[in-house]
Amino acid sequence: MEFKLEAHRIVSISLGKIYNSRVQRGGIKLHKNLLVSLVLRSARQVYLSDPCPGLYLAGSAGTPAPPTPQPGEPTAQPPAGWGEPPPPAPRAAWPDTEPQPERPAVPDAPRAVDPEPAAAVTGAGDAFRGREEDTAEAAWGRVDRPRVAAAVAVSDVSPEGASVGCPPTREEQPGASPAADCRCAPRPAEAEPSAPPALYPRKRGAAGAGGGHAGCPALCSTPLKKPRRDGGEEDGEEEMETGNVANLISIFGSSFSGLLRKSPGGGREEEEGEESGPEDAEPGQICCDKPVLRDINPWSTAIVAF
Amino acid sequence: MFSGPRQRGLRLLTHAEWCGVPSEASVLLCKTVSMRAGDLAQWFRCLLHKRKDPSWISADIISTVEFNYSGDLLATGDKGGRVVIFQREQESKSRPHSRGEYNVYSTFQSHEPEFDYLKSLEIEEKINKIRWLPQQNAAHFLLSTNDKTIKLWKISERDKRAEGYNLKDEDGRLRDPFRITALRVPILKPMDLMVEASPRRIFANAHTYHINSISVNSDHETYLSADDLRINLWHLEITDRSFNIVDIKPANMEELTEVITAAEFHPHQCNVFVYSSSKGTIRLCDMRSSALCDRHSKFFEEPEDPSSRSFFSEIISSISDVKFSHSGRYMMTRDYLSVKVWDLNMESRPVETHQVHEYLRSKLCSLYENDCIFDKFECCWNGSDSAIMTGSYNNFFRMFDRNTRRDVTLEASRENSKPRASLKPRKVCTGGKRKKDEISVDSLDFNKKILHTAWHPMENIIAVAATNNLYIFQDKIN
Repeated sequence: MEFKLEAHRIVSISLGKIYNSRVQRGGIKLHKNLLVSLVLRSARQVYLSDPCPGLYLAGSAGTPAPPTPQPGEPTAQPPAGWGEPPPPAPRAAWPDTEPQPERPAVPDAPRAVDPEPAAAVTGAGDAFRGREEDTAEAAWGRVDRPRVAAAVAVSDVSPEGASVGCPPTREEQPGASPAADCRCAPRPAEAEPSAPPALYPRKRGAAGAGGGHAGCPALCSTPLKKPRRDGGEEDGEEEMETGNVANLISIFGSSFSGLLRKSPGGGREEEEGEESGPEDAEPGQICCDKPVLRDINPWSTAIVAF
Repeated sequence: MFSGPRQRGLRLLTHAEWCGVPSEASVLLCKTVSMRAGDLAQWFRCLLHKRKDPSWISADIISTVEFNYSGDLLATGDKGGRVVIFQREQESKSRPHSRGEYNVYSTFQSHEPEFDYLKSLEIEEKINKIRWLPQQNAAHFLLSTNDKTIKLWKISERDKRAEGYNLKDEDGRLRDPFRITALRVPILKPMDLMVEASPRRIFANAHTYHINSISVNSDHETYLSADDLRINLWHLEITDRSFNIVDIKPANMEELTEVITAAEFHPHQCNVFVYSSSKGTIRLCDMRSSALCDRHSKFFEEPEDPSSRSFFSEIISSISDVKFSHSGRYMMTRDYLSVKVWDLNMESRPVETHQVHEYLRSKLCSLYENDCIFDKFECCWNGSDSAIMTGSYNNFFRMFDRNTRRDVTLEASRENSKPRASLKPRKVCTGGKRKKDEISVDSLDFNKKILHTAWHPMENIIAVAATNNLYIFQDKIN
């Protein structure tokens, strides 16, 4: 249990750092963010592997398995799967969104163009969204912070993204973030070379979904939180935070796979701009190509979907 | 152990003064003590450069310190993009005791903050590294870099000026040619020494990520610059082109697992360089093997001790600095808690490991919270490669004598350098009863960190940067 709390705490701190790195002068430092994400992954593994029969764990560990095998729910793995690649099966559902290059067990599905996963993800995302609306929202509230981190140039996104469960705020943010995200995470290469403007909304959805897909796992796990949440508001929030964070981590779990994908397509201008200057746009936000930031974008858009 | 005090009057400068900003200054008298050869504890002769007013501005934080090849010049770069060069006083009969004092020689603004409009990013003007070029004529050249741009600066002296131009007045106004009735030959007249710094080359737009290292090759014609994912090779004369010699950027950024943290050319073999990674590994590359040195020639890694695994194992194993020994036979790496000396002929493990502040291992979580765990400490060799030095917290810095296996902790602080006080060794109490004069781990000030140190290439003179203050310590053997 102590490990779990410790891990949770470390995760919160790490997310805070990622968020703060956004406002640092000189751009986001790739090295530091890489290290922070490694710590996040370690904390997540510990968090998930701690066989503490604690509240959340009962929820997170148990529920993920029984309920519908949420596709792409990496954390749905029973404790035994810590640090190990999630089963290829669930993964297969999101071949493009969560490839796991360093895990030989999982076939490294070729990265499809954005629209593809976007489509796939969107559908799933929607399904998820509908289900875990309330808990997800609260959960994502927590995620807002890191998400915000992705938007370097976002001025309208206020740091109070830390305010968990603040729908109005979130709604505004997502609106801003995708655009900002696009700006800040230009990935010409990945940013769908074939992303026609028409795809924008789709991308956004995809990003949302992708993030949502990233977030979906979050959603998937949130239901677990649900019962717990009913028990006590505070505890519920705490759990949701944890669960949410755990999902965030699970996303990182596979190194930087999946989410990093299309960063939320973002504005058309961005897309086109990105395509034109891949090398330059890379660091976009310099090291903004941190997966951490990436997957955060999707979540924001997912929140918008709500 | 220590000889009697010898009073010294010192001209004290503050970092702000160096940069032209007036501030209060105080003079410190330091004593000199004899130092037995190899006795690291006998540092003295503190030439204290310290700002009296504690409310310094962050732009004054020193970000790099480097002696030139002869040791006569010491360059410092700060967070505000300024470079301050100190020059060692020459011995002279009139001031027999002034030998060894470093005084400000030149100050100039090397880099300015820039804004990358395309990416909506501000580029910091902080000087990340300064490297001197070997001196080839009367002028001095150095390379200074911020996150994105490297500049070659020429520092030259001017102590004469021409007088008696025909077409110009003494004021500089042009004379009417018709008024000139006689011609004269201009003559050179002495003037007050003026040191000018002018940018001779600007090497820009070659790095997508933040530049962390530059290193001048032993051929004196090329140099490398390294950022998080790439290393470029430049020719000092050519600014519009550079060769990429290392590229560890994965095709899919999501697979990124490590970044380059430091790189350096071998001191004698112009085809060899090393670069360290955030995973605690060092790769030695030979540029003769291929144009793109993605495949290393040697790979140095010490197996991790599984018993000391923690959340932060990866962070503390990240190498923050790598330096070749002057001999070229060894290299030294600095990670968060230790300094390791590697024999280039043995890749499996270092030949020496020195713990810098092992007592911090149990505090990694707090250090992670306050970001101290990300501090990048540098390390340096002495001229003979018999000792190594690196910094720590609380304005402590550590020296390790490789021959006697002794080490010492010293403190760079004003209080510690009172007049007639010698630099005495410090000790951190790691547990149990705290002895007198020991400092407990919990009372260490983590805001006072010594990240940058430099050792004179030939003599026992060290420069230690403590936030915005530069300390120069020197020993003198009686």
